[in-house]
Amino acid sequence: MTTSPTDGSTIPPASEASSEPVPPPARRPPTGRKRAGAVLTAPLSWLPLLFLAAIVAVLLYASDFHNFGLSFWGPNWFPDPLDPASASYGVLVFAVGTVLTSALAVFLAGVLSIGLAISLVMFLPGPLARVLALFVDLLAGIPSVVYGIWGYVVLAPYFANDLEPALQSHLGFLPGLGGSSVEIAGGTGLLLAVLVLTLMVVPLTTALVRDSLRSVPRALEESGLALGATRWEVVRRVHLRYARRGIFSAVLLGLGRALGETVAVFMVIGNQVRFPPTLYSGTSTIATLLVGQFDSAFIYPDLLRALVEIALVLFLITLAVNVIGRRFLTDGGLGRIALEAGPEKAAS
Amino acid sequence: MTATVDPVWGTDSPRWRRRVAADRYVSYLLPLLFLAVLYPLLDLIYWIGAEALPTLSWRTLTTNPSGFGGGLLAPITGTLYLIAISTALAGTVGIVAGMYTAEFASPRVASLGRLGGNLLAGVPAIVIGYFGYFALVLYTHWGMTLVAGGITLSIFMIPYIYRTADLAFGSVPADQREAAFGMGASRGQYLRRVAWPIAFPRILTGIFIAMAIGLGETAPLLFTAGWNFVPATGLSSQTSYLTGLIWLYYSAPTDFGTELALAFQAAFLLIVIVIALNVIVQLIAERYRRRLRGLFR
Repeated sequence: MTTSPTDGSTIPPASEASSEPVPPPARRPPTGRKRAGAVLTAPLSWLPLLFLAAIVAVLLYASDFHNFGLSFWGPNWFPDPLDPASASYGVLVFAVGTVLTSALAVFLAGVLSIGLAISLVMFLPGPLARVLALFVDLLAGIPSVVYGIWGYVVLAPYFANDLEPALQSHLGFLPGLGGSSVEIAGGTGLLLAVLVLTLMVVPLTTALVRDSLRSVPRALEESGLALGATRWEVVRRVHLRYARRGIFSAVLLGLGRALGETVAVFMVIGNQVRFPPTLYSGTSTIATLLVGQFDSAFIYPDLLRALVEIALVLFLITLAVNVIGRRFLTDGGLGRIALEAGPEKAAS
Repeated sequence: MTATVDPVWGTDSPRWRRRVAADRYVSYLLPLLFLAVLYPLLDLIYWIGAEALPTLSWRTLTTNPSGFGGGLLAPITGTLYLIAISTALAGTVGIVAGMYTAEFASPRVASLGRLGGNLLAGVPAIVIGYFGYFALVLYTHWGMTLVAGGITLSIFMIPYIYRTADLAFGSVPADQREAAFGMGASRGQYLRRVAWPIAFPRILTGIFIAMAIGLGETAPLLFTAGWNFVPATGLSSQTSYLTGLIWLYYSAPTDFGTELALAFQAAFLLIVIVIALNVIVQLIAERYRRRLRGLFR
């Protein structure tokens, strides 16, 4: 008997089968129509990659391959439309602003979201966890201009009149929290930008950390509990250790989001071109420079080229951060969408 | 004789009590971190509502913005037009691309496509805005137009729809799939009659999430859609939009005109729409989960 009654395919004689394993059944059933459908739909699935390439090409073209040099990273930002020879386009100030705001915001968001994710996965009863997760999701849905106007109109006066003077008088001995009261100005500045940015990054990192905590095999968790460990010990020794790659990737993807955040940061950071002496001081980031100066650059080619180059650099940096972040992500989630229970979870 | 309890490891030892106490403290204290997130969220919603509601009226929704105030008619219609254009474009591209990736592509090509989608989702909005300005406003000689804004916005929305479509088509239960092909269905018949009805609700959630994200975007539109005090009259006219109005008016003085109130009203409308879309997504997702559970039985 060499044919199987169920699928009709020929099973090779035992002597051959032992030397070569039977290949797994093809994933796709072969049908003649495949080619037409595939040819029609294929180009659109290349579109995202194509857009990435097009962004690089267009920005490179628009910048005239002009100014990439060491002076580009210098500390002097001095665009002068009347005297192009003495103009200088160093972006160091903005790079420092971007690094400071995103690093602080991602640190806060990372710590916060690890705590939130652990509570959601381990400590809160199911229905409550689901409701709280919905609220965290909602945070991701609030438009960035709305964060901006709230920060500018509601938070900034509170920061200027109450929070920041209090911080300054009580914690002024800490680096960055002291300084002259002039720095507080209208309340807009580094601190406000960091806090608004943290709120905007938290939903993404929480969702990703939660997914990676959920990916811990149930058997590992239960064997920890069976050995007599408390839930907190299991979280620390099993979950956090098993999910550390996922947590790292969540932080990196959050960083990618924070680096590029533009509108809300522009509205609350104070927009001064200088290195911030204190946490209360107004400063700028690369993204706020890009959005704030573009209008005036329409009639001013040198500035436009400089801005385009900076945009390209910002693009490449966020792309690199995202690529690295995704390498550590096991299930390739997209933040909010990864939250939605897949059919695999629904089935169990 | 009762069994002796181990002095170090037993359930009566001080060590054990310490461990249990630590567990209890953490399980009570850690969830308090939610206050750090929920308090700002509620504060934001409260303040936007408190600033917007007292002056929000039917007139606000039906008159155009003017120099010192007016209403929101033009931005509301502009946002609707922009979302309509970008959802149509991004929906088509995303669904078809997702179908290809889940159904036709080889694993290598599929993973490349997914990588492209995920990376596109990570591109800063302002960079997409720059790209849109050069590619669709400057080099096409269109100038700032509704259609340029819509296309730029669709670039932003594609990854979300693409990803959900890919997931939705990819997660059609194997039973259903094999049953269809076992009965001799062609691939087209399978996709139309079997996969689409199962995948559609989930794709819809992706579309709504993408719409909520598109509605709230400002940076890609600032340099592509232009500005307009009356509703856009065609694809090639400039348009205003709700987020743009907030961007324009947020720093207006409080004691002069009603521009700031108008910005808060626009913010309030955006929040209401976003919450509504989120609720719809949850309702669809809940039904979808229940239906899939039925399919698996």
